[in-house]
Amino acid sequence: MQNAKDSFYMALRTRLATINPERTVLLRGAVRPGILVEEAEAPFSQLPSDVFILRWLGLGIETDLGSTMAAAECEILYQTCGTQSFGGLDRGRAMNEMDEELVAMLSPCFTPKLNYTATPPATMLTQVFWDEPGLGPISVQRDRLSRSAKVMVYSYQEQGE
Amino acid sequence: MSDTAPRNPVGAPQMLADALLRSVAGTTALLRVTGTNTDTNMSEVGLVSTAFAEVVVSPVVMRKLRPTWQESGESKWELLVSATGVEQQVNALDLPSAQSLFAMTLAVSVSGQDYVIDSIASNEAFGQVYLYRLLLRETRQQAV
Repeated sequence: MQNAKDSFYMALRTRLATINPERTVLLRGAVRPGILVEEAEAPFSQLPSDVFILRWLGLGIETDLGSTMAAAECEILYQTCGTQSFGGLDRGRAMNEMDEELVAMLSPCFTPKLNYTATPPATMLTQVFWDEPGLGPISVQRDRLSRSAKVMVYSYQEQGE
Repeated sequence: MSDTAPRNPVGAPQMLADALLRSVAGTTALLRVTGTNTDTNMSEVGLVSTAFAEVVVSPVVMRKLRPTWQESGESKWELLVSATGVEQQVNALDLPSAQSLFAMTLAVSVSGQDYVIDSIASNEAFGQVYLYRLLLRETRQQAV
């Protein structure tokens, strides 16, 4: 499932760079598109704002098929306090913008599966696909709005996985 | 009533802080930082392609916080770090600020024990930082 997880993240990262090139994050000394995998970064004392954070949760395996299918649940967390120039009064609009970017990033709901342990990444035989995101309610903590969306990501297990 | 009289910046608070840290058994801390050339696919998905370096800062003093500060059973510590020690490393690494150095830090090692940074605060006098206070949490055992 690791190849599927990596491919899912890289697909979203590439799409975000096209949808909103200005959404970036400075992480480990490098400016990157504003999306990251929580388990691949140093632990956060507080999650960064205006960035999409991918957190992998549940895992299921279906073996009663021609090929074994794995499904992993991905929680996408994001939060915003608005912009400084508006004194945070635009935080609702900023959250709405992130909602739209998330929906746009997840469409189309498939991407080729690549093996990123190889250099350059090797394209595999099957694709990674996912269903519609389930967006949770906005959580308000003083001046911070946050939301999480959950997506089930599916992938067929190939030989060697 | 606050004192708003203009004063020229002097190094006295920093020298005093350094002397105090040394006089209370000041020691050395290692900041484990990542390299700046990590903008690759592999480093973003947790594959090993990140260069690490250890940055030495001294003098520093550790103190354990009260048990009420504990969270999920992990001890919390406060590391008092000399601002001059941090400034030397910031200049050596050609970084824009001390915040950049702490942002690059994955772990802090003191006497062989690793900690992660929870929060950062600083103390200032006459507009100059003379001490950084890092709130640290002990790291869990990692596989070798």
